[in-house]
Amino acid sequence: MTRVTIPIGPQHPLLKEPLSFLLTVEGEEVMESVLRLGYVHRGIERLCQERTYVQNIPLIERVCGICSHVHTTTYCQGVEALSGLEVPPRGLYLRALMCEMERIHSHLLWLGVLSKNMGFDTIFMYAWRDREIVLDIMEELSGGRVSHAVNVVGGVRIDLDEEHARSILTRFDVLEQQVERALELIEYEPTLMARTQGVGILSPEQVRRYCVVGPVARASGVDIDLRRDLPRPPYDRLEFKVITHPAGDVWARTLVRVRETRESLHLCRQIIAQLPDGPTSVTAKRRVPEGEVVSRSEAPRGEVIYYIRSDDSDKPARLKIRTPTMTALITLPDQLRGATMADVPVVLSGVDLCIACADR
Amino acid sequence: MNDLLGSLFALLVFPGLAFLSTCALAFDWLDRRVIARMQGRVGPPWFQPLADLIKLLAKEDILPTGANETVAAVLPMVSLASVLTAALYVPVGGRVAASFEGDLIVVLFLLSIPALAYFLAGWVTVGVYSVLGGNRSLLQYFSYEVPFLMALSTPAILNSSWSIAEISARQLTWGLFTLPLGFILALVGLIGKLKRDPLDIPKAKSEVVAGALTEFSGRKLALWHLAMSMQTVVGIFLLVNLFLGGSKAIFLAVPPPLAPVIFGLKALTILVLLSTFSVLYARLRIDQLARLGWRVLAPLALVQILVTVWMGG
Repeated sequence: MTRVTIPIGPQHPLLKEPLSFLLTVEGEEVMESVLRLGYVHRGIERLCQERTYVQNIPLIERVCGICSHVHTTTYCQGVEALSGLEVPPRGLYLRALMCEMERIHSHLLWLGVLSKNMGFDTIFMYAWRDREIVLDIMEELSGGRVSHAVNVVGGVRIDLDEEHARSILTRFDVLEQQVERALELIEYEPTLMARTQGVGILSPEQVRRYCVVGPVARASGVDIDLRRDLPRPPYDRLEFKVITHPAGDVWARTLVRVRETRESLHLCRQIIAQLPDGPTSVTAKRRVPEGEVVSRSEAPRGEVIYYIRSDDSDKPARLKIRTPTMTALITLPDQLRGATMADVPVVLSGVDLCIACADR
Repeated sequence: MNDLLGSLFALLVFPGLAFLSTCALAFDWLDRRVIARMQGRVGPPWFQPLADLIKLLAKEDILPTGANETVAAVLPMVSLASVLTAALYVPVGGRVAASFEGDLIVVLFLLSIPALAYFLAGWVTVGVYSVLGGNRSLLQYFSYEVPFLMALSTPAILNSSWSIAEISARQLTWGLFTLPLGFILALVGLIGKLKRDPLDIPKAKSEVVAGALTEFSGRKLALWHLAMSMQTVVGIFLLVNLFLGGSKAIFLAVPPPLAPVIFGLKALTILVLLSTFSVLYARLRIDQLARLGWRVLAPLALVQILVTVWMGG
């Protein structure tokens, strides 16, 4: 049979962000794939060296359009460590609350994108409708739906009063019902299972070799989660399960992510229940003493790493961001080999691509 | 003179162009609206399909270099013409424009022309997604068409006539009750034929962009859309006649003026069934469809035919 080269991207209905895949196809079977990146490279790391530590926060928020909060959290954690700042507990709890709500919104968004790409519009509509609950709460808290501008060096700039907390908790109950329903669908819907089971398999060895992190790794049975492995307050005082699944296919990733959504809901409830009193932030100095730091946290897509080097001025000397998507992207040619054309959207969405993150 | 006027009326007004396009737009809207309500959305206003059609008609019509422009222009017209011709033999509300013994086979033949035209449309417009979509449409055609034809032949065998009007008139009990399996198979076959969710494999957006029609735009695309919507209408009318007893109610005798109403209600029921199917399932892969078609649907259709013959066809 003759081989045909089919371009997926930079513009393609499947992709929400620019990325290019050149697929060599024989009939419907994918033989080879070549990945090209860099269509949304914005030079953020270099720009960060031109701006002060405070000015960098809004910039870093724009690394990713979905997990914007976890990026600033990781950055602020690093800068706080460099300047020896102690963030008040209430600030840490509120930060974690936003992180977990962001995880819920990111996972539900992903569930929608996957369903849409495999032609299951109904789940897409339901997932995005339910995601609005979290988005509304985040907007009430911070003023922004996806770019929240919550973090400052030394804490957060939002606060939560008792009445608001109660209203949030009632809405969480609605959300939990919907998540349970989605879980039921994923576990029993035959066409969904037919499309996702056995597709895009990654073995635990491949996961370790490519340094894959986050839900993709956990869905291959690799038990890693920074929230438990490197517990920072408040996670050391919260109870949650790290969800894993041995199958390693897209179905397992779906299951892991939706179960994680449920865990995040429990975490949010605990955070609100345990929320300590006190100030939400401390004042930071403009200058950061000389030093270097590696700051890590668990983003919705896995471990995100910030390396910051300071030189006793008000601007970082070097800032390096490693996002979880990068590791997942590298596995895609492996996952696509031998798949059919119809599996391509499922595999590509299965790893939860965030191209803007990867390109920075 | 009267004969000529009658033919022209049948071709252009009822059940021809005007009636079918109105039905096509109305069904299109209803389908979108029902799906939207099931998915927790509002859905488009009633004039949306018409507005879409007018917008497409007004748009620039371009084709990529290397595409065969004449064939690309002729193909949507051929599909539209064959669907319109097929509609003449399908009774609507007890009225039929033309009928003869064996018209069921002619209608089924005419209704497969759009599928072949769709495949050719992929080839002549040279785009890589078009070719892929065209190939898929042919594969899909081979998977659903055989069980579909077999399922539609069961009411003909049972009522010992191959004329749609005759079958519709002769049904004392609805085909739905005497041939339940045949009805379900025909419904699945119809979904495949109309390339509706969850069998929209040839035009799966996330896989092959818009399939064979990727490179079409403007007037040609508008004609394609119209032909597809009309095919939906004719397909539904066909099923109503073969399996739901045409314009007859179930126990009561229907006074003639009410016949179109009954017929319309039945057609809408099938439309809602189709919408429900597209809400309920994820899109299948082409290999899964081929397996479903040949391992499940075709044997079941065979069983239904055997049962029908045994029942005394």
